[in-house]
Amino acid sequence: MLQPVRSLPEVSTAMTSETPASLRARNSFLASLGQGDTLNAIQAARAVLREEYGLRAWNFIAGALKKTALDKLDLKPFRVALLSSFSIEFIHSPLLAFGFLNGLSVQIYQAGFGQYRQEILDPVSGLYAFHPDAVVLALEGRDLLPHLYREYLEQPPAAAASIAKQVGDEIAGLVSSFRSRSSAPLLIHDFAPPTWPSLGIAEGTTEFGQIKEIQNFNHALRLLGRENPSVYVVDYEGLVARHGVQSWYDERMALYAGAPIAQVMMGPLVSEYMKYFRALTGRSKKCLVLDLDNTLWGGVLGEDGMSGIALGPNYPGSAFVAFQHAILSLHRRGILLALASKNNLDEVERVFASHPGMVLKKEHFSSIHVNWGPKSSSVRQIAGQLNIGLDHIVVADDNPVECEEIVGQLPMVTAICLPKQPEKYVEALLQEGLFDTLSLSAEDQSRGALYQQRAQAEAMRASTGSIEGFYRSLEMEVTFAPVSGSSLSRAAQLTQKTNQFNVTTIRRSEAELTALLADPDWMLTTVAVRDRFGDNGIVGLLFARIHSGAVEIDTFLLSCRVIGRTVETAMLARLCDEARRRSATVLRGRVVPTLKNLPSRDVFEKHGFTKLGNSNTEASHWILDLAKDNIAFPEWIRSAQTQSGESSLRATCTTDA
Amino acid sequence: MHEQIKRIMADLLDLDPASIDGSTLKDNTPAWDSLSHINLVVALEQEFGVSFDLHEIESMLSYDDIVQIVDGKIG
Repeated sequence: MLQPVRSLPEVSTAMTSETPASLRARNSFLASLGQGDTLNAIQAARAVLREEYGLRAWNFIAGALKKTALDKLDLKPFRVALLSSFSIEFIHSPLLAFGFLNGLSVQIYQAGFGQYRQEILDPVSGLYAFHPDAVVLALEGRDLLPHLYREYLEQPPAAAASIAKQVGDEIAGLVSSFRSRSSAPLLIHDFAPPTWPSLGIAEGTTEFGQIKEIQNFNHALRLLGRENPSVYVVDYEGLVARHGVQSWYDERMALYAGAPIAQVMMGPLVSEYMKYFRALTGRSKKCLVLDLDNTLWGGVLGEDGMSGIALGPNYPGSAFVAFQHAILSLHRRGILLALASKNNLDEVERVFASHPGMVLKKEHFSSIHVNWGPKSSSVRQIAGQLNIGLDHIVVADDNPVECEEIVGQLPMVTAICLPKQPEKYVEALLQEGLFDTLSLSAEDQSRGALYQQRAQAEAMRASTGSIEGFYRSLEMEVTFAPVSGSSLSRAAQLTQKTNQFNVTTIRRSEAELTALLADPDWMLTTVAVRDRFGDNGIVGLLFARIHSGAVEIDTFLLSCRVIGRTVETAMLARLCDEARRRSATVLRGRVVPTLKNLPSRDVFEKHGFTKLGNSNTEASHWILDLAKDNIAFPEWIRSAQTQSGESSLRATCTTDA
Repeated sequence: MHEQIKRIMADLLDLDPASIDGSTLKDNTPAWDSLSHINLVVALEQEFGVSFDLHEIESMLSYDDIVQIVDGKIG
């Protein structure tokens, strides 16, 4: 039986990888595994890989899988035979772990060290008895053809070329023997460059040369792949180059155990195989759903405006331009694009229409969902409109809360939670090769347009579904505190910068706030929000004034970071309590519409306020009768105690400079 | 550091962390073969951000050896 990981780690060095987040991911993984909840176990395993360095994560995942009855899970059995010219056993753990992440229950047949010829040529070998779903022939040039590597200068160039030709012919013979006995897909590595080229910088000036011979060899190998059905030549040369030849190999382990590939590189190697395995089992992803703010551009459109977002030739805008180019390349390969963003559609349309930095155009997107509802319902609608399975959808979003919400509701979706640094977005999008297909057809490349038309024909549906579980999972904690010397400048800044959730949009300077603080009738409250992803700091303000038995809400705003998480309900509930304590009988609120505050306009209506009058004027006025009505504090939010206790809503600070 | 080492050894050598002590030797731990030895070495390198030379790798024959060598690296 799997035991939960109980103890919190002793955090003693900066290198330690066990954080509360990693521990939570591990336990969630073990729990889901124990319950046979495959999809959530996969999501938790992805989280473990995100939170811990690869080696440790995949050893942990593979270790747990080995102790689990995998036939109880909803996984596709996938039999992989490994043939190699070197010790490749270290690949087993990542292979099991990454296979699991892709819904595969990988079973491994490991041929003996260097036994690949015998396995292929002997018709009754273990390889054929295993009935593999895929066979990997992992050859290292430096093992197989030392004449092209460290011994290159120990024979005449023509002799090296001729030996290389013989080895190439031998591999061709092996491929044909294999094909005569098995129809399983066969993956063959091509050869990586030498770490230290024998000719040094003279390579480029010679007619023959070591690097050229290796490239010729690889070229012949690729031809072999094209000529034989289901034979795929893995671009090992390119893979090693991406990571650097010196990092790829670990000379110590090559000498100690005949295992030349650095163990940490087993992850990228398996990732490369997984691109094939996904494609072979119909698991390649088909649709990329994108966020907008801090994903396609830097900054928040609703706050910063079209001229304020980062998108253009200079950093950080240049990083977003690069990301858009990477996305456009996927689109050109036939990947469908969609948008799921919390924004105002008309502002987004303006950016698409006229921002000079936009590489992506509106017509590249087959489905556009810009609204303020939960993103999971947008993603569900996108899947419906485009008629593709949720398991073929990848979501890329910078906000871990949104990623969490989506996979919490739709665990079959793959979320790429973008890293903090936009320069790493391209890597995050492409490193797993989630969208890779075995080949490209002309149809692939025009599919985007087809789906787009279908989407336009489909009607939009209203979003439904409870998201209480999501709120709960955020583990939110709010802290109410009176505006004080230390929060004064943040409070002023919030009044000046907040546009979207802001009912009155009254801008105030620090001096104006200081003046209000001196008035005992004013309650100036800041709201700080923590959640399991960290501390958001002060993200909301509620200013109110008590006046002849009524508490009048003057300023009620929230940073867009925490919109849609019921923090506003907590704030109003708290204000109800405080108003009663001050013997007020009603709460009054007003909404002054601006171009940008759409998300806050219905806040009073949603919380049971009654609209006053039939005013056709710009502002609407709202009232809540405290004798009859109450606003309940959301049970999924914890209210942290403030030092000033009961009177925390009172403006107590009068001495700040 | 001791707890981190024990946790890594437990993960990779199929041991209960509480059972790991001075009596834990490569020779008396069935799962501690040459493959898991490499796993162990690399995991320690990753965990502590250090690098061992081959001589050190060959000298890690017990829990105590590992503690001593890691301690020598991170001071």
